[in-house]
Amino acid sequence: MDLLLQRIFDAITNGSTYALIAVAMVLIFKATTLINFAQGEQAMLGAFAVLQLWNWGIPMWWAVIIGMLFSAALAAGLERAFIRKFDPTDHLPLVIITLGLFLVINAIAAIIWRFDPQSFPQLFPSGNAFTYNNVRLSWYSIFAFGSCVLVLLIFQTLLTKTKVGLAFRAVSSNLESSRLSGINIGPTLQFGWALAAAAGTLGASIYAANPVLQIEPSMMLRALIFSVTAAALGGLDSLWGALIGGLTIGFVQSVVVQYIPFIPNEMSLSAAVVVLLIVLTLRPSGVLGTRTVERV
Amino acid sequence: MLQRVQSTNETRSERNYQVAKWACFVISLLLIAFAYVDVGTISIGSNNYNLSLIRLNKAIAYTIAILGLQVVIGYTGQIALGQSFFFGTGAYISAWLIADHSWPFLLTLLIVVPSCFLLGMVLGLPALRIRGLYLALLTFGLAAVFPSIVKLDKLYSYTGGAGGKLTSNYKFIAPAWLPFDEVAQALQKIPLLGGFFGDGPLSTREESRLWKYILFSLIAGLCFWLVHNLIHSRPGRAMRAIRDNETSAATSGVNLAITKTLSFGVASALGGVGGAIYVAEVGIASPDDFSSLVAIYLIVGLVVGGVGTLPGAVVGGLIYALVPDWASSTQSISFVPERWLQGPTGSLILGILLIVLTLFLPGGVVAGWRRLKSKMIAKQ
Repeated sequence: MDLLLQRIFDAITNGSTYALIAVAMVLIFKATTLINFAQGEQAMLGAFAVLQLWNWGIPMWWAVIIGMLFSAALAAGLERAFIRKFDPTDHLPLVIITLGLFLVINAIAAIIWRFDPQSFPQLFPSGNAFTYNNVRLSWYSIFAFGSCVLVLLIFQTLLTKTKVGLAFRAVSSNLESSRLSGINIGPTLQFGWALAAAAGTLGASIYAANPVLQIEPSMMLRALIFSVTAAALGGLDSLWGALIGGLTIGFVQSVVVQYIPFIPNEMSLSAAVVVLLIVLTLRPSGVLGTRTVERV
Repeated sequence: MLQRVQSTNETRSERNYQVAKWACFVISLLLIAFAYVDVGTISIGSNNYNLSLIRLNKAIAYTIAILGLQVVIGYTGQIALGQSFFFGTGAYISAWLIADHSWPFLLTLLIVVPSCFLLGMVLGLPALRIRGLYLALLTFGLAAVFPSIVKLDKLYSYTGGAGGKLTSNYKFIAPAWLPFDEVAQALQKIPLLGGFFGDGPLSTREESRLWKYILFSLIAGLCFWLVHNLIHSRPGRAMRAIRDNETSAATSGVNLAITKTLSFGVASALGGVGGAIYVAEVGIASPDDFSSLVAIYLIVGLVVGGVGTLPGAVVGGLIYALVPDWASSTQSISFVPERWLQGPTGSLILGILLIVLTLFLPGGVVAGWRRLKSKMIAKQ
């Protein structure tokens, strides 16, 4: 029983970090129906920027905020330079461009910071908030989950209460009509990219701040698969779906896989892919996503 | 349709031109083989670039895998990123048969091709419901899990776990009737150019390397011929119809399910053949040779060569086999800080190539070459 509870807590911890990256994916997908394969790498670069700022002596949370601003500006630049000129309905060139960004960003990060894992500053108070027999709920888990919910609330408000949020929702609902009604499409999508990158950087910083993990250039590859699965599970165009998807994937990874004897522990990534396969086959638009109808 | 009419009406001189072109191609392949059969290096500045047949044999393996991607992405328009999964499957099946059952290499292809074909069809089934980006996601996930599957403890006796499966018990021995030695000696006697072909008779090791190169080239040639025929046949036209517009292809009577699964099967089988050749060349199947990075590099090869062109696969295979290797053997260039040369420079270059070509030359090197050629002809 203790073990189960502990594993559920682990699931919430992992799930929240996956959800933060998944939220970034969802934002970009909502706007452009594009899956950004470079999202994880952008987030990793942002987290490295945070680490660098912290090493230079900037207070931790300021470093995180500056890092988020930096990666938002970078993402806005990338969108303008590489994404905007392509037709959003033709997926292949866009997938290829984001794969190219994946390689380039990963290589640049490895060239600047090398492959050796480095320890990341503690963003949250260490120690446990709650101990019962052998069950420990660390402050890290609480804050990770809390920041995930907070980010979602901020995004929700931003998208529903502000003018640029309205424009963003209009574009994601119907690109042609919103262009006809005078919305400037390009900058609106750019805004979406920037927002997504900022969320991703926060997610990667929290992920790397996990006491048991270290930061290294390839750390986001596994997280990318988990987050993508989370995003697809929740429905690729639903913000709160990302949270549900993230928690489900965390649950599968930390609880379900542990209790099924014939799945070895290192198969959690494969379990995520199997979940992705089942979800996409049975319900391609995810749990909370909107269905698309093809017109001829 | 137009192309067919033109090709049946081609004149005698045109046909002679084609024959001469292919003959030149084959002869130059053979000359390259003899010139680089001993470990050949080119030195630029203080850097040595490896150009031996080992690289070219790897390039052939990648070429065949990229040819598979041409079928599924280039001609059927399904964004399947997981070619490294099938590349690895083919490699491991072949390695297992060679190492544990002492099969000869060519015989293992008889198992590799059908099993990868079936596996590709089965894994292609979700593609009937999943489209575009979702398919890209799923196939990328497949590529990402392959190394952890072969590292499973339960498969240890088949795959050799993290250490990999050695296949060095099988040696490629050139058949005695092939006059390698005589040809090499004759080439060495050519005035001026003879020095390029080394000196003295070939060692057994060089002969076996040469034999591998010729054998792999023949397999690659066979694959190209089959794929070319497939593309120009009825199922191939159905594939292209699906790529251009799925809905209208369905309304004009194309069976989407059969055509898509067929193209997945063909692509996977080609990936498997590529993997088997890769293992035959390298001598070991190890999990990290089939990571998701390999899947992305194969996509780079596809894009650089040109999506939807058959010769593009050759260009792509060469790029994949040579660029990362040369980038890591470049140790010093003046004006460039060393730090930028010691990191994953190959990956950086391939990523930049991917972005630049997609932005400025969407058809890849082959389309660029064709455009250049038509401009030259128009000027005359």
